[in-house]
Order: sequence, then structure tokens, then C-alpha cells
Amino acid sequence: MGSEPGLMDTLAEHWEIAKKLRSLQIHFDPEKCKGVWQCYEVCPIGCWTPDYERRVAIFHDPEKCVACGACVLQCPEDAIELK
Amino acid sequence: MATVFMKWLETSPKDYDRGIQLLTLGKLQHVKERIVRDYIREGTRVLEIGCGTGTLTAMMAAQGASVTGIDASPAMLAEAEAKLGPDIEAGRVTLKLMDATLVGDRFPKASFDVIVSTLVFSELSPDEQRFVLEACTTLLAPGGRLLIADEVVPPRSLTRLVFYLVRLPLVLLTWLLTRTTTSALRDFDSLLAQSGYRSAVPVSCLSGSLVLYEAALSQTPGTEFQSPIPKLRHRVTLRTLLVDLWALFFRIIPPYPKFKTGLYAIGNPDRKSPVLVTGNFDLTVRRVVKALDGRADIWLLVADSAGINVWCAAGGGYFTAEKVIAAVQSSRLDEVVAHHALILPQLCANGVDGWRVREETGWGVHWGPARAADIPAYLAAKRKKTDAMRWVRFPLKDRLEMVTVTLGFYGLLILLPVFIFWRSMFWPVTVSMVGLSYFYAVVHPWLPGRDGLRKSVPLTLIALAGLFIYTALRDPLPAERLFNWVVGLTALSVFTGAELQGMSPVMRGEQANWGWEAVIGAALGLVYWLTPLALGWR
Ligand code: SF4
Ligand code: SF4
Repeated sequence: MGSEPGLMDTLAEHWEIAKKLRSLQIHFDPEKCKGVWQCYEVCPIGCWTPDYERRVAIFHDPEKCVACGACVLQCPEDAIELK
Repeated sequence: MATVFMKWLETSPKDYDRGIQLLTLGKLQHVKERIVRDYIREGTRVLEIGCGTGTLTAMMAAQGASVTGIDASPAMLAEAEAKLGPDIEAGRVTLKLMDATLVGDRFPKASFDVIVSTLVFSELSPDEQRFVLEACTTLLAPGGRLLIADEVVPPRSLTRLVFYLVRLPLVLLTWLLTRTTTSALRDFDSLLAQSGYRSAVPVSCLSGSLVLYEAALSQTPGTEFQSPIPKLRHRVTLRTLLVDLWALFFRIIPPYPKFKTGLYAIGNPDRKSPVLVTGNFDLTVRRVVKALDGRADIWLLVADSAGINVWCAAGGGYFTAEKVIAAVQSSRLDEVVAHHALILPQLCANGVDGWRVREETGWGVHWGPARAADIPAYLAAKRKKTDAMRWVRFPLKDRLEMVTVTLGFYGLLILLPVFIFWRSMFWPVTVSMVGLSYFYAVVHPWLPGRDGLRKSVPLTLIALAGLFIYTALRDPLPAERLFNWVVGLTALSVFTGAELQGMSPVMRGEQANWGWEAVIGAALGLVYWLTPLALGWR
């Protein structure tokens, strides 16, 4: 038992993760975006809209984003970050 | 039934053979004879994983095979060495002390015609099983066979029931005696398929709880055990009704009802029909089938999502690109369709990396609609998604379902202790909890706040307002009892707001709520304890 992390450590760790999860936000770099619309395809909330003329995605409604991470994983240009 | 004996046998190799004989009612010996008869010839190169005391090793050597036996137990191996002395000297048998997971590194590629293993895989964890199976793919010579004889959980429900009834007390006893437990193989055919094998079951004894798997590499031509691709139909049976009922209340509690992974047909698909991918949560598969049966002809590829719905499984790291790649590679998709387009559920995009699937399999990935019910319209529109198909809202029906699911779980957790220790409060607590939950489900979209925790503030205020109005008009309470109600209702409202919307990722940061709940709970506890002291009630 002695070498295992204590209950308090485990709780503290959980608490850190919990805090981090709550504060996650989308950071979008339009410079990198090439307009392949994967973000628009997968976002379940509708936070992204394609701007077909300028070939760049528009991120709106940050308040509604549920931080599911789908757009981050599917963007081939690494233009989206969740942190 | 093997559990207790098995643990005991492992430590006393001298009685191993007799014990095994006893606990498999002599059937294992029968299986071993079949192995030697059907697969072993003069000169066959055999690797035996887990040779134990060498019973099968000796039988195979007598048939003229050259056998390499490995075992992780020195005591067993010593017993085998004593038994196989002459064979070892004649070079027919080599014994090595080695763990099963090392085989991939220790032997040259394609060096065995037969790899055989009896009662070993059930002792390995699922990950180890997969690892060893994959290692064996490189060790098998062209046309080689992998033979695995083991205990399995019987596939049919009635025999499974008997199996569990017999097994449960034994598992318990073993655990009490040794603090360890063994398990029978489950879903092993799909594991074999995922690891790159085609398999058949030539021998099955003890009502399907002891079987022999024969597996060959699926890439090897001319070694196929092809069965027709099973067809799925939408059916309501007693089983599905019971599973649905269970899932309605206790969906969060494992074990989750799983669907067998693999390729299925819905309707009469042909070489041009679309291929849909989904996870192996029983309800998910049945929902897809219900949405499509009679409306479209498609191929359905069920991938391993650990029996969890795709969104949560993808978010939790259970449903990944690897699982989809494994499902594609191990299926016969290449044979049945002429195109290379997969339609993945949009809601697994948070865990399944579409680009990895594209790179590794060469299949195109299209993100289908969020809900199964929209699939026919999506297909009819030539894979065009409307925004309504893309977006996940949380309509009343879903909210009510979610509240019921979570109430089922927390109801047990909270109401059972209340019923036992605090019977007088059972009905008030139950009524408050159920009432608050469903009220919350209905008014959810109109409550201010982005997430449940913030929404719990207005919820608390409404609950307290309700309490004050009720007590003022109908049933005036003494200050002390009113105070108790205020504390209790606040706690319940916070809990309801933060938890009862379920684990759906639509409600962001669900995992993050408990910490705040604990803090608020502790604060309320303090208030509950200190205020009466301060006011001199106690
Ligand atoms: S997926 Fe990435 S590159 Fe494509 S439109 Fe969205 S942000 Fe731009
Ligand atoms: S994290 Fe999820 S909800 Fe947020 S923008 Fe990306 S896809 Fe949409």
C-alpha cells in the first residue's frame, strides 16, 4: 500500500483535470486553414460555417462549443486547438 | 467449473493431468486426441504455448511432429522434462521457460506449421490475447494453423445461464482463497478476426463451454472458412424488450450489452451499396437496423467500441481509428463491394481520426448524420447532410430519457440508503428527487447557464421558492424543519442540475462537475452543522 499514491493525491489530480476540462476553449488559426470543411462536417453544435469565397472556416458561437474535440482531431491542417 | 481447480493445479503440477481430466470431465483429453489426429503429421513443426506437464507434447511427438513447448511455470516445465526425457534427447521436443507474450520475439518468422495452446488464452488479459494472437500471425508458415482449446462463455443464453450459475460460486470461492480470478474466453471469434485470422470451431464440448478454435491467416489463399455474411433484420423480441428496459434505467452500469463485431447485411446490398460503420453497443446496432431495415440496402460494419455508444466511446478513447481499421482489415469488405467509401457516424469524429483511417486502409471516410434515423434521407440525398442532420440538439424526448437513465442509477445509490436508514424521509426525498429531475428535464433549455452546474443555480432558486410558497400557504413549518428542508433541497438541486443530464458530451465538461459538487456539498454540510449550533437549536 505504501508506494501507492494516497487518496488526497488522487483527488487533487482529478480536481486539476476537472478544472482544465471546464476551461477548455477553441483556438482557431485562420492563417493555417485551407477550407476543407472537416470542422463544419463534424461539429455537432454548428460552431463552424464555411466561407466558400475566401475558402476559410468561420468559428462562431464559442459559448456553445461543448469541447468535444471533433474539429481538432479532424482538421488536417492543425488549424484548431483546444486548450 | 475450472476456476478453483485451476488455481490449485497451477501450484501442484504432479496432479495436473488428473485434475484437468476431472474438471473437464475427460473432454479435454478428447480434444487433444482430435488435435493430434487431424492436424499432426510426420515432420509437422509445432509450437505449443503453455505445454504444462507435457501431455499433449508427448502425444504430438509420438505422431512424429517436432515440438517446441513453452511454459511460464518452472515447476510445470520440470514435470514435462521428466516425462519427455527420451523425446528431448532424440531432438523431437524442445522445452523453453517463457511467457506467452514473448513468442513473437524469440522465434524466426514463418517457422511453425501448427501453433497450439490449451487452456492458456483464458488466463490472459484481452490485450495479451490480442498481442499473442498477432505475434502468432508472423510465426505461422504459409498454410499454417493456430489451434486454441479453451473454456468459453457459452454463446446461447440458456446454457450461459447454467454456466454462470455453476461458475459464480466457484469464482467467489477462488477469489476468497487466492484473491485472483480466472475468466473464460468471450467473443473470441471476433478477436481472432480482428487479429487477422479466419476461424472455425471444429470441436465443441460441455454444451459449448469447452471448444477448439481452428484459425488460419486470413490473407493466406485457399484457407478460407467462409460463412455467408449474416443479415440483420429489425425485430422486437422478449430479449430486446428486456435489454431496452434495463438500458432505460441502468445504462451507465456495466456490463454493457454488446453486439458481435463484424460485417452484416441490411436488406439486399450489392457491390455498389454503401458501407456504414458503427460501434458494438447493442442498442446502437439495433437502432441503425431499425432505421434502415426495409428502407435501404447497405453493408453494416460493426466495430469494437467496448459495447459503449459511439459518442461516449470515442470521447473516452474506446472507439478509435485503430478499431475502425481493424474492423475494415479483418472484414471481407474488399470482396463484397467494388467501391472504397466508408460512412462513419459523425458523432465518433471526436475519437476516430478520419485521416488515419484513410491512410491506413485506403478507404475514403464520409461523416454520416448524427442520428441513425436520418441515414435513409442522407443516403437518398447522395450523402448530402443538412445542418439538421449534423447538429445535436437535446430535445425533450432525449432529456426525459437521459433523466430516467441517470435517475435509475442515482436513485439506487441514494434512495436505497435513505430507505434503509431514514425510512421516514423516503417518500419526501423520492418525490423531491423525481419531481425536480423531470421538472429540470422540461425547463432545461430555458434555464440560464451554459452547463448543468450553472443551471443548478436557477434550479435551486425555483425549488426554494416552491418550498417557501408551499410552506407559507399550506403547511407552515417550524424554523428548524424549514431550515433542514432548505439545506436538503439546495443539495438535491445542485446534484440534479449537475448530474441528471447524464454523461452526454452535449453537456460540456460533465466530468468537471463532481469537484464543485463535493465543495458545495461540504459547504452545505458545514452550514447544516453550524447554523443550529449558532442559533442554539441543538
Ligand atoms: S478542418 Fe481545418 S482546414 Fe478544414 S476548414 Fe476547418 S479549420 Fe479549415
Ligand atoms: S470542440 Fe466540438 S463543439 Fe466545439 S467547435 Fe469543435 S466540434 Fe464543435
